[in-house]
Amino acid sequence: MSTPRISLSILLHGCLRSILQQGSWNFERMQNLGFIYQLLPGLRRLYGPTPPAGVLQRHTEYFNTHPYMASWIAGTVLRLEEKQLAGETLPVNAATFRSMVMAPYAAMGDALFWGALRPLAAVVALLLAIQGILWAPLVLLLIYNLPHLMCRCGGWLLGYRQGLASVELLQRLRLPDVAIRLKELTIILLGVLCALLAARGCAHQEIAPSWGLALLPVVLVFTWMARRGVSSFSLVVITTASLLGLALVF
Amino acid sequence: MVAAYLTTGALAVILGLDRVAVLQCMVSRPLVAAPLTGWLLGIPMAGVEVGMMLELLWLGRLPVGAVIPPDDTQVAIGATALALTMERLLGLHGMPAVILCVLVAIPLGMIGQYADTRVREANNLLAGSADAAAAAGDSRRIEQLHWRGVGHFILAALFTCSVIVAGGTLLLYPLAPLLVGTVHETGLALQYSFTMIGAAVLLGTLNVSRGFFLFGAAFVATLLVIGLR
Repeated sequence: MSTPRISLSILLHGCLRSILQQGSWNFERMQNLGFIYQLLPGLRRLYGPTPPAGVLQRHTEYFNTHPYMASWIAGTVLRLEEKQLAGETLPVNAATFRSMVMAPYAAMGDALFWGALRPLAAVVALLLAIQGILWAPLVLLLIYNLPHLMCRCGGWLLGYRQGLASVELLQRLRLPDVAIRLKELTIILLGVLCALLAARGCAHQEIAPSWGLALLPVVLVFTWMARRGVSSFSLVVITTASLLGLALVF
Repeated sequence: MVAAYLTTGALAVILGLDRVAVLQCMVSRPLVAAPLTGWLLGIPMAGVEVGMMLELLWLGRLPVGAVIPPDDTQVAIGATALALTMERLLGLHGMPAVILCVLVAIPLGMIGQYADTRVREANNLLAGSADAAAAAGDSRRIEQLHWRGVGHFILAALFTCSVIVAGGTLLLYPLAPLLVGTVHETGLALQYSFTMIGAAVLLGTLNVSRGFFLFGAAFVATLLVIGLR
């Protein structure tokens, strides 16, 4: 097994470049330029200042995954490139590995970060904001970005250090299970948030908080409508028109 | 006002890039973008209120694959800038004025999806040029093309924010004085309805078994605790 040739400074350079992963996102190849942009400092270290056309071409192919998980893939791909150059026999080459894992990594990243962590951070911050806590946005950023940056930077470094073994490490993290638990917590906090708003509305009208229970079916009807394909915009229009109409009549 | 609009433009670019092109650390979320805009424009509470109303509204629309969600970042920044405009031009401030700004910014913000689509189509050309650069072994050219893509996203952010602020001002200047009283009559209902709708839509998109039960139990338990206090 070859020893790593990429220095920490070049890895940090690649890590910094990962923030532009989606800088030229396009419909045809999606994140392809962002992917090679992150790899280039490492490829230049391996192949010299002008990497061969074949290497550049195989990394400008179609690429699409979750932007944070792209770092895991890029790190592993760089290690595989290094091993290929050293003449090691590999079970899978860099380009095939990239094509194989981008979809499952995307599914994990989308479910965890977009589907679970982002709503959780937003709902926690909203709960603080409705209490009048002005630093609530900072809480959102903190909750979200600790795992985000760990994944983006840690994934890149681990991907490179561990090569193909990073796939097993990622499996052991059981990210889909974590995502489900976070979603459950988010739903509970959403219930608390809606109840607090309902109670506040009741207090404003000088009626008992128990009247707020009347809002539960309203929220559930909206949920049902959303699942039927009614957009948030349509729901805003319907609600606003109804409330303004009521205000004008009474 | 010129300084305020320049600040708004700078924020539209910086926070707008966070949506897709750069970092994605969620400074583009309405609950961060609007308070930051409000703070820099000298109307911090209006910013917080805008952020609270918009945060959940499109949170369930995941930016997965080729899906382009509505540009809630520019809606948040634009609505906050509109709140300042209404205060300076018409002397309107407070919650009803903020709600009107959000109500106008939401439909105007739909232009953001159009702009985002055009950006990605323009970036298709970059991917084509990158093929030629790769075949020629020109890695520097590939990097330049990538940065040009970032430039496209900057233009889209500025365009969307400009449409919201300019279009919103044109609409609100004659309409706001007529509607602000009616909006005031709705009390907290209209303000909270945005968060409630967002919560409902989010509940619909978080695919969790027992989701309705968990939501209902938390809702009822919280009201019971408040009632017993």
